Amino acid sequence: MTAYFIRRFLLIIPTFLGITILVFTVTRMVPGGPIERMLTEAQLASGDQVSFQSNNQGIAGSTLSESQLNQLKEYYGFDKPILESYGIWLKNILLLDLGYSTRYGEPVWESIKQRLPISIYYGVMTMLLTYMVCIPLGILKAIKHKTHIDNISSILVFIGYAIPGYVMGIIVITIFAFYLEWFPLSGFTSNNFDELSFIGKVKDILWHSVLPLIAYMSGAFAVMTFLMKNSLMDNLAADYVRTAMAKGMEFKTAVVKHAFRNSIIPIATNFGENITLFLAGSFLIEKIFNIDGFGLLGYESLVERDYPVVMGILVIGSLLSLIGNILSDICVALVDPRVRFGA
Amino acid sequence: MASKDVLLKVDNLTTTFQTDEDSITVLDDVTFDLHHGESLGIVGESGCGKSVTALSIMRLLPKPAGQVVKGTVTYNDENLLSLSREKMYTIRGKKIAMIFQEPMTALNPVHRIGKQLGEIYQIHFPEMSEAESHAAQIDILEKVGIPSPEKRLREYPHQLSGGMRQRVMIAMALSCKPDILIADEPTTALDVTTQNQILNLMRELQQEINMSIIFITHDLGVIAEMCDRVIVMYAGRIVEQAPVKDLFSTPHHPYTKGLLESIPRLETPPKSRLEIIEGLVPNLKNIPEGCRFRSRCDFEVEDCSKTDPKGEPIGDESHRTVACIRWQELSS
Ligand SMILES: Nc1ncnc2c1ncn2[C@@H]1O[C@H](COP(=O)(O)OP(=O)(O)OP(=O)(O)O)[C@@H](O)[C@H]1O
Ligand SMILES: [Mg+2]
Repeated sequence: MTAYFIRRFLLIIPTFLGITILVFTVTRMVPGGPIERMLTEAQLASGDQVSFQSNNQGIAGSTLSESQLNQLKEYYGFDKPILESYGIWLKNILLLDLGYSTRYGEPVWESIKQRLPISIYYGVMTMLLTYMVCIPLGILKAIKHKTHIDNISSILVFIGYAIPGYVMGIIVITIFAFYLEWFPLSGFTSNNFDELSFIGKVKDILWHSVLPLIAYMSGAFAVMTFLMKNSLMDNLAADYVRTAMAKGMEFKTAVVKHAFRNSIIPIATNFGENITLFLAGSFLIEKIFNIDGFGLLGYESLVERDYPVVMGILVIGSLLSLIGNILSDICVALVDPRVRFGA
Repeated sequence: MASKDVLLKVDNLTTTFQTDEDSITVLDDVTFDLHHGESLGIVGESGCGKSVTALSIMRLLPKPAGQVVKGTVTYNDENLLSLSREKMYTIRGKKIAMIFQEPMTALNPVHRIGKQLGEIYQIHFPEMSEAESHAAQIDILEKVGIPSPEKRLREYPHQLSGGMRQRVMIAMALSCKPDILIADEPTTALDVTTQNQILNLMRELQQEINMSIIFITHDLGVIAEMCDRVIVMYAGRIVEQAPVKDLFSTPHHPYTKGLLESIPRLETPPKSRLEIIEGLVPNLKNIPEGCRFRSRCDFEVEDCSKTDPKGEPIGDESHRTVACIRWQELSS
C-alpha cells in the first residue's frame, strides 16, 4: 500500500504541471490581458473618447508611451515567450511566491489568505452537514424502500436538487431573512463581532451561516442521499448479506455489520471531489450572501483579468483537490482491504 | 411412508415473485420429505426453481418480491414458515445451514475470514470466550482441509482461491453441526479436481456429524455420486422423485429420460450426437394448460393438454412419484 501512495504522490507533479501550463497558456491567448485592461481604465479616467475596439487600436490611442508600455509588459513577463515566463512563474511558485495582483498591487497570497478561513469554514461545514444528513437519510430510505417515508423524502430531495443553489439562496434569504427576519441578510459576522464572548462569536458565525449553508447543500444533497441509498440497496441484496442471514444473524445486525461498510465505499470515493467542490465555493451564492470567499475572488479576478490571482487560486485549488483525492484514496483503502492489498 | 424418520417435510410449497406488472408462480405445489441422515438431490434445468426451493425453506427469499403463498415446511413438529422471526434466527445456521452457489461473492470482501467465521459462534454460542471461539475456528478449518488455518483466519476473502472460499463456506455451515445442510450447487463454480475434493469432504463430514443434505445441482453425475434419493424439477414442479438407483435404471418421466440421455457416456461412439431435449422451458408467466413439459415431449397425446399431472406415488415402491399421465404405458 505504501508503494501505492508514493505513486499517487508522484502523480501530483505531472498533474499539477499539466493544469497550470494549460491555464497559463489560456491566459496568454485570450485577448484583453491585464495591460489592456489597465490602459482602458487609464483612458476612461483621462476622459479619452477613443473607443476601445482592438488591442492595436487601443495601444495606439493610449495615453502611455511606448517605453512605459514595454516596462509594464516586462513587469508582468509578457515580453517573453510563453514557456519562458511559465518557467519563471513556476520557479516563483516553488519559492512560495505567487506574485502580485495586477488590480491592487498587493501580494496574491494576501488576497487568498484573507478568504481562506471563510472558504474553509463554509467548505468543511457544508461537507460535514451533507454527510451527516445524507448518510443516515440514505440508509433510512434504503431500508424503507418504497414506503411513505422513502417516497416523500424523495420528492423533497428532488425539489432541492431541481432548484439551483443560488436560486435556493434567494428563496431562503427572501423568506427567512427579509420577511421573517430570523436570520441576517448577509455577511459572515455581525458588526459588533469583536465585542462578543467566545460563545457569542460561535453563535454569531453559525447564525450568519445557516442560510448560505442551505443554499450550498441543496445541490450536493440529492446526489449524496441517492448514492448512499442505492449503494446500500445493492449491498443489501448482495450474496454475503444472505450468507450472514443464513448463519442466523439478525437482519439489523447484517445491515450494520455487513452491508453498511461496503456501501460507504462509493461515498468515500466521492469524498475528494466534494472537498474541492465545497472549498471552491460558488460565486453566485457568495454574491447573494455577500460572503468574501474563494468563489467571488476567482470570479472577480477573471473579469478584471487579474491573472496572477487567477493562477494563484488555481494553484491553491489544484493542491486542495489533489490532497482531497489522496484523502479519499486513504478512506477507500481503510474500508476496502482489496484496495489496501493491491488486488 | 414412515413419517417417524422424516426430518423435514415440505408440503405444497408455492412461491411467487412479484414483478413490475404481475406475479409469477415460480414454485408450484412442491412436496417432498427429507429423511434422517440422507442425501436428497434436487436436479433440473437452470431456472426451474431449485434455488428458490432452498431459499423458501430458509425464509431467505429476496424481499419483498419473493413470497411463499402456500404450503408448509415442517421441522421438529413446527412450521418454519409461520415461526416468529426470533425463533427462525435460532434455526438458521444452527439447525439448518446453507452453502451458496457462488463462493466468490458469498463472503464479505471487507471482513477477515476469522471475523466472518467467528460470527457464527457469537450468534449461536454467545457464552463462548474469544479464545474458545478461535480454537474452534482453527479446528473447523483444519477439518475442511485448509492448510495453515491460523494464517487464513487473518486473511481477506480475495486472498483465497475459489476452492478455499467454498471450504470456508462449508466450515461456516458445519461449525454448529446442523441437522440439515442445504448445498446449492456448491461445486458448480469450481474446477473438476476441486469439485471432487469438495464432494468427498462433504460426504466425510456428513457421516461424521450424521446430518441430512439437500444437494442442489444440475449435474446428474454429481447426483449419482452424492445422493440417496433424487427430485427432478421442471418449471417449478417436481416431475419425478425416486431413489438414485431406480431413477438411473428405470426413469419414468419423459423429462427424466431426456436428462439421462443428455449425459455423455464412454460407451457411446466418440463424436456421435448428444441427445438434447429440444425446445425451451415454458415462460413461467403464461404456463400452458395441462402438462408443462408437453411442448417438448416426444410422447404428447391429446389428454396431456387436458390434465395437469400431479406427482402420484407409484404403487408399493417407496418414495417414488411421477407426474405424467402416460408413464405406465411408456415404461412398459
Ligand atoms: N429475485 C427474483 N425476482 C424475480 N424472479 C426471480 C428471482 N429469483 C428467481 N426468480 C425466478 O425464479 C425462477 C427459479 O429461479 P431459481 O433461481 O430457483 O432457478 P435455479 O433452478 O436455481 O436455476 P440455476 O440452476 O440457474 O441456479 C426463475 O425462473 C427466475 O426467473
Ligand atoms: Mg440456483
